[in-house]
Amino acid sequence: MLIGISLISFFIMHLAPGDITSNESAFNPKASEESRQKLREMYNLDKPIIVQYGLWLKRIAKLDFGHSFASHQRPVLWQEKDKNGNIKPGLIQKALPITLLINLLTIFLIFSISIVLGTIAAIRKNKIPDRLITLFVFVGFAIPGFWLALLLMYSLGVSNQILPISGLHSIGYEQMSYVTQFIDMLKHLILPVFISCLSGLAGISLYVRNGMIEILNQDFIKTARAKGLYEKKVIFVHTLKNALLPLITILGLSIPGLIGGSVIAESIFAIPGMGKLFYDAVLMRDFPVVMGILTIGSILTLLGNLIADLSYAWADPRIRRGLSK
Amino acid sequence: MRLILTSLFFICLFGCNKSQTEDVINFDEEASQESGGTLTNAMIGEPNNLIAMIAGDGASSAIAGQIFNSLLKYDENLEFEGDLAESWEVSKDYKTIRFNLKTKKKWSDDHPITCKDVLFTWKAVTHPDTRTPYGSDYQLVSSAECVNDYQFIAKYNEPYAPALETWASLHILPEHLLKNEDINNTYFSLNPVGSNYYALDSWVTGQQLKLKANPNAIHGKPLIDNKVSRIIPDLSSQFMELIAGNIDLMSINPIQYSRVFPNRSELNNKINLYKEMGNGYTYFGFNLNKKPFDDINIRKAISYAIDRQEIIDGVLLGLGEEITSPYKPGTYWENKNIKKLSFNPQKAKELLEKSGYHLNNNIYEKDGIPLSFEILTNQNKQREMTAVLIQRRLQDIGIDVSIRVIEWASFVNRFIKTGEFQAVVLGWSLSLDPDQYSIWHSSQQGPGQFNFIGYSNKRVDDLLEKGRQELNKEKRKAIYDEFSAILYEDQPIVYLYAGYGLSAIHKKIKGVKKLSPPAGIYHNDYEWFVPTKFRRNEMSL
Amino acid sequence: MKKIIKNPLALAGLIIILLIAILALFASHLSPYDPNYIDIQSILVPPNKQHIMGTDALGRDVFSRMLHGAQISLLVGIVAVGISTLIGIILGSIAGFYRGITDTLIMRLVDVMLSIPSFFLILAVIAFLTPSIWNIMIVIGLTSWMGVTRLVRAEFLSLKERDFILAAETIGASDLRIILTHLLPNSLGPIIVSTVLGVASAVLIESGLSFLGLGVQAPTASWGNILTDGKEYIQFAWWLSLFPGLAILITVLGYNLLGEGLRDNFDQNT
Repeated sequence: MLIGISLISFFIMHLAPGDITSNESAFNPKASEESRQKLREMYNLDKPIIVQYGLWLKRIAKLDFGHSFASHQRPVLWQEKDKNGNIKPGLIQKALPITLLINLLTIFLIFSISIVLGTIAAIRKNKIPDRLITLFVFVGFAIPGFWLALLLMYSLGVSNQILPISGLHSIGYEQMSYVTQFIDMLKHLILPVFISCLSGLAGISLYVRNGMIEILNQDFIKTARAKGLYEKKVIFVHTLKNALLPLITILGLSIPGLIGGSVIAESIFAIPGMGKLFYDAVLMRDFPVVMGILTIGSILTLLGNLIADLSYAWADPRIRRGLSK
Repeated sequence: MRLILTSLFFICLFGCNKSQTEDVINFDEEASQESGGTLTNAMIGEPNNLIAMIAGDGASSAIAGQIFNSLLKYDENLEFEGDLAESWEVSKDYKTIRFNLKTKKKWSDDHPITCKDVLFTWKAVTHPDTRTPYGSDYQLVSSAECVNDYQFIAKYNEPYAPALETWASLHILPEHLLKNEDINNTYFSLNPVGSNYYALDSWVTGQQLKLKANPNAIHGKPLIDNKVSRIIPDLSSQFMELIAGNIDLMSINPIQYSRVFPNRSELNNKINLYKEMGNGYTYFGFNLNKKPFDDINIRKAISYAIDRQEIIDGVLLGLGEEITSPYKPGTYWENKNIKKLSFNPQKAKELLEKSGYHLNNNIYEKDGIPLSFEILTNQNKQREMTAVLIQRRLQDIGIDVSIRVIEWASFVNRFIKTGEFQAVVLGWSLSLDPDQYSIWHSSQQGPGQFNFIGYSNKRVDDLLEKGRQELNKEKRKAIYDEFSAILYEDQPIVYLYAGYGLSAIHKKIKGVKKLSPPAGIYHNDYEWFVPTKFRRNEMSL
Repeated sequence: MKKIIKNPLALAGLIIILLIAILALFASHLSPYDPNYIDIQSILVPPNKQHIMGTDALGRDVFSRMLHGAQISLLVGIVAVGISTLIGIILGSIAGFYRGITDTLIMRLVDVMLSIPSFFLILAVIAFLTPSIWNIMIVIGLTSWMGVTRLVRAEFLSLKERDFILAAETIGASDLRIILTHLLPNSLGPIIVSTVLGVASAVLIESGLSFLGLGVQAPTASWGNILTDGKEYIQFAWWLSLFPGLAILITVLGYNLLGEGLRDNFDQNT
């Protein structure tokens, strides 16, 4: 499976016309073609595709993701020490944490808010709260993200100066204490996380809502009510637990999404995450970086599927009982 | 969860009411020079590598230019003056240049700067293993040596007139730090040591670079202590940061200059606008190897059919000029004697008909083939808008034109290198040295070379070769005047416009020359200063 | 259908979709100006009597461009979704009907495609091909078929065991006939839902691509590129942002409301 993904990606990348040398200095009359040809040879770009793929595979097997062409030998994955003890930071190493942070916050918020909204919608099915919530989450999904981002940046950042506009840190960051630094970063993340959440709310809320409705109609709920249990207990203990089971699977399946930042959001908010890294690498034909990101992505997907399957099996008492027998 | 959000909200409210204070300060007040302060600007891309000869991108060169010196530099009138060199002499046969270096200068790590560094740099840029695309100019030096610690001699086989310009663009590197390093991989590219006004203080990947004033700067310490370059890829975000006061200067586009600022008085209280001649020109290029563009009458017809002033008014809101030679208007090399082709659709039609075209259903045709082609350009808003205007005008006289916008790397590789294009809208920089060999000489038409439109004119070839070897300024001017006149007569490209450089700079930055010298307003940025009363509170939250 | 009319949100969705479709169909008749008519004298004019939605940076009437943009957005949406649905139906039916190795292979392919974030894939491909409107439609289509495949396969798997299918097989009906006349018509529910929701997605993707400069190209007007063109001066030319933004919002909303309404409708049936 991994081979499949990497093969497809490698070929697509190489189908694209051009390579790293076509970008830089391509139209600078001071740069001669001979020099560029020399550069091409140095990067092995003049060898046939199969050979290049083979070379790449060999290195990956040793967990060597290579160096970025564009940033001139910055390591793709992790930092390296050179002979003088200087540390060169890895590209993915720097971009991944911030993307992970944003995505984790987003997923956490989406799930928490969706569970609440979905439950309310299910309980008051087809009445005003249900309709309003449905409308709200759909509007959230339908708003073009970058449009809302620009509007919010302007109203909250420029006109009223409540929130920072872009970037991750304010000026004078280095002088702040750890606590203030942390709060400062969170302030910068409020808008990006909010924008990311908004489009994801619709899907999960509706899923929760529909799941709850389905369960609420089932016999065992009627039994519980007939037994005279408190309505709240009925809802929270019995219904919710069952409705949430499939959410665990969804959580597992959203793991690969954790590393893909949104190019658009990162570009607008000046956040140096994986989305921007990938986009720039594609445009610069920076093969090692592109392949590196896709490979990590597929590893995470496989992992995500595995975790999703396992946690569902663990969480669903029926399956658990079946296994212990 | 909600508790955390609400408390964050209140912290925000108390921590960030910058705007109120800024509105009260009067930035127009005069102030006397003092050192200190910070200037913050923004870049759309992050530098890759601060060794300019290896990095290919603009962001890297911009930062590296603050850190390193070359042997020569341009003064405010675009004449050469010494940078690391105190003086220089060109021999009578024009084949030797002797540079006398400034003595007693030090790198920012206190190591002395000597001729060894110059020699090392030259060897590096010409070395076959160095991954640089810029080696060819320096390989023309047949021998280079250090007579003593402060004299560098470069010998050429043939007189090479652009030589001085090449020595004004080579950043001299410290030999003592790089002699045992692989220049392609060295950590030095991320943590350089230089000799110019600023040194690298910190670099937060993906977010910002901070430069601080270099006490060893060979021209003396600059007045502004710190320069912060924030990496903000989106121009609308940059503009918002400018308005909010989080960055101090930015290049703006014509609409921001002419429409946004005039309507907002609160902006004009804080920010000054500057207009100067830009550094490039935009052109409409023909592929001279494809019919019908090999016919000069067709090219002239298209040139008459395009309304250049309309393009300047529409795309640049009037903030640009027409040019007739590839040199910066207002400089010595500009050829002012060329008579402009006017906007004359009638004449265009006459030329087309003279070449055997006749109208059929509003499109001109010859031998049953309609006059129709595709304009290619890259993803650049101004070029797109220009192409749209050209399309409209050509459509008006009966030429059918379509437009295709292509991502850069594909553009270069699939269309330019292969010669598979009909017409393009692109730009060149307005060169400071008049040499245009690599763009117009008939030998430069190979794939990857710059004469991709396929221009070939024997007389022009001669002139370009002679111009490279003529060091007498007046004689050189005569050569290039004839060159640009022939070029204009042949119309291998239609010069469209040279746009102005528009900058918005916060008023707290004092010392910016309102009237831009030929070298531009950024030329004296080492003299700019920020008066204490205007300084942003850098220590607080 | 009755359920839709009873559900006010879904009804609203339907009305929105019909309204926009009509506006798009009759764009040429309804536009007061030629959407590509450049008027240098009227650059960036705010909404007024001559130009009810103002003009853009080349003096073109925004209202006319919006109407033609509706055509483009809907075209992109429908064709892209058409392609993805077609591929999805074909692959899903084969997988669900034949099971075995074919099924495994197809699902593996689905997994591979799903593990590459689709926006990245679209981005990568569009960056290489030139961004013409056809390439955008094809690429969005080629990267969104996975959901339909799974749905169709799931339906087929559950329907296959039913009596009327077994009956048809006993009679000796050919595979193709069974698929086309029996299985597919009964699986239409989820397919229709997915189609409607897919159009909404495609419209949003096009606007995202425009932001990156890879969407529908000049001089053709699309909501995405009107929005993007004006983004550097939104404080001044608010009309260039407001109208396309709202248009995208309302259209996508409409399709989603209808789609969810249909889903409720079909769910109740099964």
